[in-house]
Amino acid sequence: MIISNKGKIWISIICLIVGFMIAILFETKQSTELRDTRDLWEIRTALQKEQEIQQNIYNEIAASEVLLQEYENQPERQQLESLKESIENLKEQAGLTVIEGEGVVITLQPIFQEYDEYQIYPELTADLLQFLINQLNDYGATEIAVGQERLINITPIRNVNGRVYVNNSPIGDLPVKVHVITDDPTRLINHIEVSESIDYFALENIELKTKQVSALVLPKYDQTINLEGLEITESLEEGDI
Amino acid sequence: MLLPALFLILGLILGLLTNFTIPEIYANYLSIAVLAALDTLFGGIRSQLEGKFDQSVFISGFFFNVSLAALLAFIGVQLGIDLYLAAIFAFGVRLFHNLAIIRRIMLEKFRLRKRNK
Repeated sequence: MIISNKGKIWISIICLIVGFMIAILFETKQSTELRDTRDLWEIRTALQKEQEIQQNIYNEIAASEVLLQEYENQPERQQLESLKESIENLKEQAGLTVIEGEGVVITLQPIFQEYDEYQIYPELTADLLQFLINQLNDYGATEIAVGQERLINITPIRNVNGRVYVNNSPIGDLPVKVHVITDDPTRLINHIEVSESIDYFALENIELKTKQVSALVLPKYDQTINLEGLEITESLEEGDI
Repeated sequence: MLLPALFLILGLILGLLTNFTIPEIYANYLSIAVLAALDTLFGGIRSQLEGKFDQSVFISGFFFNVSLAALLAFIGVQLGIDLYLAAIFAFGVRLFHNLAIIRRIMLEKFRLRKRNK
C-alpha cells in the first residue's frame, strides 16, 4: 500500500516529535550535576583549608626528604641508629611511650547537694567524657590520659554495661582524673573554666576541678594497636566538598 | 521511509541542540510517553509493511497512547500504585511483538527478492 504524501508528512512530524522527546529525555537524564551554591566566603574558607593541607603535605615531604638525606649520608651503623631514633619518634607520636611535660590535671568529682531526699551517686557517661576530650583537644591538649589509660588516636570511649570503658578497660567510678599535657596550661584552664563542659557535667552532678602541674607523667598505651579493620575511604563525607 | 528517518534524526539533533530539559519529577512521565511513541511508531511501520496502514488510526493512536501513558503514570503516582509498570509492560511487550513481525516480513521480502532474481 502506498502512503499519500500527506500521510508521509504526518508520519515524519510524529517521528520529529519522538526524536525531540527522546532528546529531551536524554538531556534531562544527563544533566543532573550538582550546582555549586557556595558563596564567596565559603569558597575562600574551602580554599584556605586546601592550602593549609597543601602546606602541611609540603612540610611533611620536606621533613621526609631531610630524613632520607640523612640516611643516605650516614654510615651503616649510624643509619641503624637514626632508624631507631625515627622509630622512637613514631612511637612517641603514636602514644606508645611514657611522656612527661607541663600540664593540667582535671578531677571529675561528684557534687553532693543538701537535698532532703535521697540522692543517687553521680555517674559519668561515655558521651560526657567524649565531649570533654573533644573540647580539650580543641583547646590545645597535646596528650591526654584518663586515669591510667592513655588516649591515642583510635582510643574507644564507650558505655559497657553501664560503666565507662576507655581502651577497653573500665575507668571506675568517680572521682576520675584526666591528665592533660599542653603547651599552655593556663590558657587551657581558662578555656575549661568558661566551657560548656562545666555546665554539662554539673547537670549530672559532676564537678570539674582543674589543677596546673609542672611535671606531669602520662602512662604509655600498653595494648597492641590493631589497624587491620582500617581502610582508606574513597567517598566524600559531608562538608568535604 | 527515508523522510521519517530523516525527521527522527532532525528531532534528535534539535532536542540536543536546544539543551532543553524538564524537571526531574516529570522525566518519568516523559520516558513512558517516549515508550508509547516508539510503540506507536513501530506499530505504524508494521501495519505499513502488512499493507494495513491507516493514517488517522496512526495519528490518533500516537497522541492517545502518549497521553494515556503519561496519565496512567500520573494516576499511579497519586494513588501510590506503580501503574507505570503496567504501561511499560504493555508497551514493551507490544514493541517486541511488532519488531518480531517487522523482522519476519522483511525476511520474507528478502527471500522473495532473492528467488525472483
